[in-house]
Amino acid sequence: MSRTATSVTKVTVLEKIRQAVIDRPAQIAAAKKQGQKVVGWLNYFVPEELLLALDVIPVRVGVGGDEQLVDIGGRYISTKNCVFVRAAVGLLGEKKDPYTPLLDLLAVDASCLQVFRLAEVVKYYFKYETLILGVPRSFTAPEGQAYFRHELQDFTAALEKFSGRKLEQAKLKAAIELLAKIRESLQYLYQYQSQDYANLNWRDVFEIVHAGFYLDRAEYLKLLQELIAELKELPEDKSKIPGTEPRVFISGSQLSPGDVKLINIIEDLGGKIVGDDLWTGLASYLDIQIAAPTVDALADGYLARVPHAALPYLNISTDSRIKKLKELLGRFRAQAVIDHTLRYCDPYTFKAGETKDILNNEGFPFLEIHTEYASSDIEAIRTRVEAFLELVRTRNDVAGGI
Amino acid sequence: MSDTEVKISGNVVAGVDVGSLAAKSVVIVDGKVAGYGLIPSGFNSEETGKSVLQHALNSAGIPREAVKYIVATGYGRISADYANKTVTEISCHARGANFLYPSVRTIIDIGGQDCKAIRLDSSGNVVDFAMNDKCAAGTGRFLEVMSNVFKVKLEDLGDLALSADSLVPMSSTCTVFVESETISLIARGEKPANIQAGIHHAIANRISGLFSRVGIESDVFFSGGVAKNKGMRKSIQEVLKVNIVEPTFDPQLTGALGAAAIAWKNAVREGVCQEQQPALQK
Repeated sequence: MSRTATSVTKVTVLEKIRQAVIDRPAQIAAAKKQGQKVVGWLNYFVPEELLLALDVIPVRVGVGGDEQLVDIGGRYISTKNCVFVRAAVGLLGEKKDPYTPLLDLLAVDASCLQVFRLAEVVKYYFKYETLILGVPRSFTAPEGQAYFRHELQDFTAALEKFSGRKLEQAKLKAAIELLAKIRESLQYLYQYQSQDYANLNWRDVFEIVHAGFYLDRAEYLKLLQELIAELKELPEDKSKIPGTEPRVFISGSQLSPGDVKLINIIEDLGGKIVGDDLWTGLASYLDIQIAAPTVDALADGYLARVPHAALPYLNISTDSRIKKLKELLGRFRAQAVIDHTLRYCDPYTFKAGETKDILNNEGFPFLEIHTEYASSDIEAIRTRVEAFLELVRTRNDVAGGI
Repeated sequence: MSDTEVKISGNVVAGVDVGSLAAKSVVIVDGKVAGYGLIPSGFNSEETGKSVLQHALNSAGIPREAVKYIVATGYGRISADYANKTVTEISCHARGANFLYPSVRTIIDIGGQDCKAIRLDSSGNVVDFAMNDKCAAGTGRFLEVMSNVFKVKLEDLGDLALSADSLVPMSSTCTVFVESETISLIARGEKPANIQAGIHHAIANRISGLFSRVGIESDVFFSGGVAKNKGMRKSIQEVLKVNIVEPTFDPQLTGALGAAAIAWKNAVREGVCQEQQPALQK
């Protein structure tokens, strides 16, 4: 998790969250000794509600920014896979971080086929027990919805067998309510950080989202609610003058915990990040409506939300991902979009062109940054971002332009 | 006041562009270009920047202490304590091209280690841009390698390509692959002129990919050191099917000129210099 938040830290609960993340691996290890099982999961469609209802501990797997893990992963999986996938293979193979040695099962949804391949590779080479959740390509078709319901039923049955517990409706209901409150709290924090004079910035909130990958979810909700209460009491931070920094929205695939190269560059150059639609950021928490405490309702709810770009939804005029992106740009008062994709994350890279055309027409400058974890392109990216911020400053007359 | 007295009395600004292969500087006095310098980049960006600035000042006959505002650009801008402000070369090329030719809406810039497609508005503000990937394929460094292979001077590569009677297609723009492919082609008896024409076409094709991302609109200006290569200009015109504005000022100095134009604007805005009419002149 990033420890280099740039806001003036006077928010005490933020420090409590950071401490809780430090303490978490020991807590999980103790729970394992008491017989609890730990499920690491990857990607976008694994419903944590199921894991919580079956009393297993969910850990969202994956880190970014570590070129050494990419090299290690590249020994086992093709180097034409994105650096996140290669780093995740390296992470799961090395087991030198605090979480992977604790995993009893790796659950992976197949929305991204590279991540699906990752599950096969770590099962073969590192003997992980894995569980795959199929995701339909035609996710808006009734056949696709029926397929996902069926897949999630099978997934649930396999998890019941693994955990030695039967799914109870009351526990599922409680888990659905808990996660709904977490999503609501995170959306509140995103909205809060985008305001002038906020006491948290986007980077802080992104760090808080990543804390939720690991922390006990009930404890996490308590901390989020405590944080929100504190923020409501704190006086506004008047140390920064609004309107002096270009307001930048980060779109694209993902920035995992530790992948701070682009964030550092934007902030060093005076850009203010005001929001994101990354699947390691806000996107995972948007628009999930679960109508009933049943597996079918979970399947319907997860499938109906903003789609992962790896799912080939090509009707651009009705693409809810684009529609949501435009809505978020307005909500966070963004002036420009930086679209971040990792090398060989093809689904997101392919969609950048059409997204750019649409947003340009809506008046938003759009910069594509295509990178990996190595530091060799830092100066080239810096030049692109700096020129882009100059463009936004001039266009929006931010602090007099260049 | 005499011309020399005007130059010394004030209203002097400069742009310094320290690139990967060459450093450039342009001096503006009362909104008009008064001098310029062009030297190879050294290992120390800071010293290179100061040195090329001095060359430009010497050419204009202006003492260093007369300079009121300096904008640094290029890769060396991160080590430019001598400058009042730093601006990217993308913005500077746009301002420089606009200063020279206000009708320009698209710039192709090929420098020492990168190439850029820049779209700009009537005020010289960047509207959109795209840059090549991080490798040096199709840049000045690439052509430098080729000039070594053909044992000709870098500045003669363009004329070599113009003497071609046909074009040898190249399978790559990777510097390493093209170098070895070229050696094989020479061994097979292909004419160097035809190979070089093929290389120019391969670079032009690569550049056309940048324009698929930002679009292209007339007038088109070719800036950067490689713009002096007439063979490259011809290939770009053929591949992109556009007319390129004929330069009346050294295209390698465009970034430094734009930096000087931004320096002038800032100096006037901050009251360090007094605007003359017309504001800026070639």
